[in-house]
Amino acid sequence: MTNINGKTYAMNAITPLKPWKTWILRGFFFLLGLIKPMQKNLVNLSFIHFARWVVIPRRRFPYLGGRQKREELRYDYLLFFSNFNGTWNQYIDAFSAVLSSGLNAIWGWTEKYPGAVPVTPFKRHIARCQFDTDYYYTAYPYATTNDVKAAHRVETAVRAFAAESKAMQPREFALAYQKLLLAVQSDLGETGEPPVGT
Amino acid sequence: MANRSGNVYGLTALSPILDDPSAEVSHAVALRIYLAKLARDEKSPFAKIYSTHMARLVVMDDVVFVGYPAHEEHLKSKYLVFEANFDGDLDTYLERMAKETPDEVEAVWGHCVGYPGLTDPARFVTYMKSCQLTTTFYFADVNDKTVKETLRALEIQSGLATFIERSNGMSPAELQAAFAEFWKSVEESPPPLPAAKAVAVLPCFLSGKNSARVRGIP
Amino acid sequence: MSKTPASTFSRLDETDVQGFVLRGYTFPIARFMFLEIGDAVKSRRLIEKLIRQVTTGKRWDSGKPDCTVNIAFTFPGLVKLDLPDATLLSFPVEFAQGMKARGDVLCDTGKNAPEHWDAIWREERVHAWLAIYAKSSQILEARCGELRKMIYDSDGASVIGEQNAAAIVLDGKPSSKEHFGYTDGFGNPDYLGVDRDTQPGQGKLMSDGTWAPLATGELLLGYADEAGELPVAPVPHLLANNGTFMVYRKLHQNVQTFRDYLEANSKIYAGGKEKLASKFIGRWRDGTPVELSPDKEDQAITADKRRSVNFTFGNDMAGTRCPIGAHIRRTNPRDAFGFNGALVNRRRVTRRGLPYGEFVPEGQPVSDTAEHAIIFMALNASLFRQFEFVQQQWVEYGNDAHQGNDKDMLIGNHGGQGKFMIQGTEDPANPPFICGGLPNFVELRGGAYFFVPSMTALRMMAAGTVDPR
Repeated sequence: MTNINGKTYAMNAITPLKPWKTWILRGFFFLLGLIKPMQKNLVNLSFIHFARWVVIPRRRFPYLGGRQKREELRYDYLLFFSNFNGTWNQYIDAFSAVLSSGLNAIWGWTEKYPGAVPVTPFKRHIARCQFDTDYYYTAYPYATTNDVKAAHRVETAVRAFAAESKAMQPREFALAYQKLLLAVQSDLGETGEPPVGT
Repeated sequence: MANRSGNVYGLTALSPILDDPSAEVSHAVALRIYLAKLARDEKSPFAKIYSTHMARLVVMDDVVFVGYPAHEEHLKSKYLVFEANFDGDLDTYLERMAKETPDEVEAVWGHCVGYPGLTDPARFVTYMKSCQLTTTFYFADVNDKTVKETLRALEIQSGLATFIERSNGMSPAELQAAFAEFWKSVEESPPPLPAAKAVAVLPCFLSGKNSARVRGIP
Repeated sequence: MSKTPASTFSRLDETDVQGFVLRGYTFPIARFMFLEIGDAVKSRRLIEKLIRQVTTGKRWDSGKPDCTVNIAFTFPGLVKLDLPDATLLSFPVEFAQGMKARGDVLCDTGKNAPEHWDAIWREERVHAWLAIYAKSSQILEARCGELRKMIYDSDGASVIGEQNAAAIVLDGKPSSKEHFGYTDGFGNPDYLGVDRDTQPGQGKLMSDGTWAPLATGELLLGYADEAGELPVAPVPHLLANNGTFMVYRKLHQNVQTFRDYLEANSKIYAGGKEKLASKFIGRWRDGTPVELSPDKEDQAITADKRRSVNFTFGNDMAGTRCPIGAHIRRTNPRDAFGFNGALVNRRRVTRRGLPYGEFVPEGQPVSDTAEHAIIFMALNASLFRQFEFVQQQWVEYGNDAHQGNDKDMLIGNHGGQGKFMIQGTEDPANPPFICGGLPNFVELRGGAYFFVPSMTALRMMAAGTVDPR
């Protein structure tokens, strides 16, 4: 399944929008970039490594000359690329349950968007607009974004501990070690193979 | 800068694919066949360019027709989509592609319109930039750690969990000695290789104070 | 945010739903009979006769019956009954594939793989499940005898296996204990329209901190579910409505391994043995929820229906009372994932389990090879979205709880590896502690997916009038 590499899924989706709506969409993204609390839910869902939206105005498909013909399109297109953890169904279920207003604010401008709720027609629409990845690379296939964030916290804590405890006596060391355990105890999940499934 | 989030750069490039009606196998199909066989693990060209967090190559055949009352329309070319998330700046990354993974770059972008070859890396950089689309909105959950830092952190996380389990029941003196050995192992371990299937086991767990299973547990 | 306005709910016709679906029968003894269907026409006549015995969801206002009977079918069973192809093809994919084929999804590999299963499950020969619950073994034997004769006389099906189950008797009374010593049976969800003793904590958490029943469609087909739509269901509607899907799993328990493991780790865990046991699942062995009473058992809480299930994890995000990876926290995270539980409400299942085998009290010698098991049954409108999801993502994996690949301590398919982290505090009696080298405390010995039809559906099936339109 080439969309998947380890614990990450590479989703690509393309949706058409009428050119006059593109400006509204750009305005929304501009606001999203400025107003951090709007991103809060996305961050709290915590299963996307990287994601991006790219608006392609209809006359701006790259044109490199030669025998390439210029595109003649009516619609602008919104491209979406996501690198997420979990199964396709889990991902869309979560977004539909928790981020529907955000999704509607973005894709609501595209043609024939059914809304993020209820979830079944939404999934059908995504399946139609999604196109498959041919080649997917990740530098840490066995780690989700949760694993990565936990790992950074653990490293920070243990480096500090290693430095501070160098000159300690054993009993002092043991006490400091206990403090280290308390600091890292929620962040020690193993990494490895993902569950199989869709 | 819409293409950047913290230390991570999000490159989105659409390269029109050559259309040769006389070809036995079209460029798009040939490209797909090549990509299907290209290594995705430690032997991937992107593993060589160590700064790559995640990258994908997609042959985009056409736009989508979502159904009436939307209008049906089609692209005149197919496009190769390159979506990459990497540390550092764009020019450096593109230069590294040209210099460190020339075979794969040739094999992939050789199927695209206007590809100038790699004899002059600067021309390749210019070419890729002419295929680049500006990212409208870029989200990176972790945007302040390099690939190297990430892999090292994962190695330490795994190592520490193993250390904690194996040091259950040790006396303070034993614990201190064992930890010193563990930490030495961490500091001496070379930068972990990207795209491995699992975290490598630190040498300190294979022999010495930290190699035994948990004390007293059958 | 609820998407199903409570006020628009129409009354549930309890007499159309099988009783087993709507309530947990608290009978002390049960037997499950597994049927293989031979002849479709003769089997339909058998079903017609059986319908008169099937217990519906009708309330027992005039007293509890002595005995109940319920019936369900696997996909191969429905095929054998000659249901129309279009109907068969409209059943959800995971049900049609069957539990054995879904092994990779469920992590039924290694020690849980089908090669270790009992023959009737491994060979996928079970077409129908008959459940007989009774007040006494005398009554049970009598009813089973009648049923066996009925089945034999029908010449359409045969009994290929039977599974006994019984509540563990302690001090002369049936208890809700299972073989590891834990008290089971807490926390089955409340559903809109399903009449039941509601306890706060069973339903879904609302933003004001109160509990509300889940949408009926999380349990029964034909009703709106938590996502504001009708769950995927086979056609025709009449076949599906008021029906549900059941997963049946025989979970063998390695009691000796469990006791040895607990004993050995208790020696180095400062909180002591019972506390360690409580950390594994999130309840003390007497049933006291750790979240409400982290330091000791407390029957005052456990016996109080308003409290025994009424807790959240929001004030314990660090897991220092109930470990983040503890069994009950994994299988029902409540508010632990934020978003007012919205990520949890569509992942609930109703459990109907009973132990099997002779209980061996603590301190007496016990062997892993002896017959100790839990007959685990769970009911849900969607196997894929509910049971399978919880099993795959929350039991055999831990990313949603930020526990990486760590598995459920008690029922995870560990294979001798993996660990369970007990988060602690500076209190020396509640230290951070890792349980490593985890063995399989529980091993799967077989099971299948079943469709539990409504009474209407059973009549249609018996009459051969299933028409997919």
